[in-house]
Amino acid sequence: MDTQVTLGRIDAIPDGQARGFDPGGTGRDTLFVVRRGAALHGWLDRCPHEVVTPLPYRRHAYLNAAGDRIVCSAHGAQFDIASGECLAGPCRGEFLTPVPLTATAHGELRAQLPADLLAPVLPLSQP
Amino acid sequence: MNIIGPDALVFGVDDVAATTSYLNDYGLTPAGRDALGDRFEALDGTSIVIAHKDDAGLPPALPTGNMLRKTVYGVADARALIEIAAELGRDREVRHLSDGSIEAADDAGFVLGFQVTKRRPLLLPAEAINAPGAPQRKPNQVGVDENLNPRPRTLSHFALFVPDAAKLEAFYVQRLGFRVTDRLVGAGPFLQPGGTLEHHTLFLINTPPQMKGMEHVAFHLGGPHEVLSAGTRFAAKGYQSFWGPGRHSFGSNWFWYFHSPMGCRFEFDADMDQMDKSWTPREKPATTDSTQVYLFQAREKWSPVGGPPPGARH
Repeated sequence: MDTQVTLGRIDAIPDGQARGFDPGGTGRDTLFVVRRGAALHGWLDRCPHEVVTPLPYRRHAYLNAAGDRIVCSAHGAQFDIASGECLAGPCRGEFLTPVPLTATAHGELRAQLPADLLAPVLPLSQP
Repeated sequence: MNIIGPDALVFGVDDVAATTSYLNDYGLTPAGRDALGDRFEALDGTSIVIAHKDDAGLPPALPTGNMLRKTVYGVADARALIEIAAELGRDREVRHLSDGSIEAADDAGFVLGFQVTKRRPLLLPAEAINAPGAPQRKPNQVGVDENLNPRPRTLSHFALFVPDAAKLEAFYVQRLGFRVTDRLVGAGPFLQPGGTLEHHTLFLINTPPQMKGMEHVAFHLGGPHEVLSAGTRFAAKGYQSFWGPGRHSFGSNWFWYFHSPMGCRFEFDADMDQMDKSWTPREKPATTDSTQVYLFQAREKWSPVGGPPPGARH
């Protein structure tokens, strides 16, 4: 069963950058959001190459220097920001797992989480 | 073939500024720029060298996109350089560089350099512990200094993903005089060059060809307390722990692995076994449980050995 959680304010994510979130309080980020203008892209923080591996080498460091691809620091995989497709690296052709996002009228960002993938999930607010 | 171990590892990186911050925070000391790039040294002068991936001074990139560009081995003396040049020159190009080092490729296409080692002698005490019957610290000498900022002492070892570990093992053993100290069946051998007693300076991991490259780099610290202290400080700066802290079985070294912006992991390491020629190599299957005697964070799978990566559609 999916769970809706509020991640925070959209304008807290700088344009062109990524932010990690840990809505389940697991101790490390389990999903991340990349903002490009009005577009927001949510992905689980797990590389399809090694499914137990989170991507960044440091909190929020999900993008390459040019800011035009998502990168995994484990083995150098590069992903398209919008489609999540691996374009280079060991898992070429595989995809990141999307996290559906919605924006509220008040500028809040909400995510639909697959509960079974993010246990223990402690939702910040129920729909 | 008096090869001591790696003096330097050279990377062509995507984000020079982020990598510079990372290596500083890891505890290496900036030591200027040379022909290959920016150098970051451990206490004995062994180093990581980085340059932007498009820098023309770097050896060519690996076809996999892995950021490793060159491994520079330190050897004992000029005679060892002559021996290596003669041996490798039998079947491949050996380039003599202006700094006196030589350069050639191994049988997997990794670029190797060899130089008379630039390591400086380390005159540092080991971490002292008080065991009943054998106290090592003087009265009033405390074990915990909360301001401790451990510095990596020396570049210990690295692990390579290779498509044919048996073939590369044969190259290092037969051509460069390395010895196998132990073996993880399904992954590969721990290799020790002839000029050191360290359990390993090189570990080979058999993987699909699209993985070829650096898997992890490890520097030795002064003991397990320094590993846990350095890792805790590093994690507090936002760097992402991958595996550890724990202690390996083969090699007995304490470990704590972190992700890095160099597309491989960096390990804080301490207290590795030393083996001489009388040692008989051990073997066991390559599983997580076989490589750690204890661990303080669960990790189901530590490297994609033994077949295609999970979810592969090849």
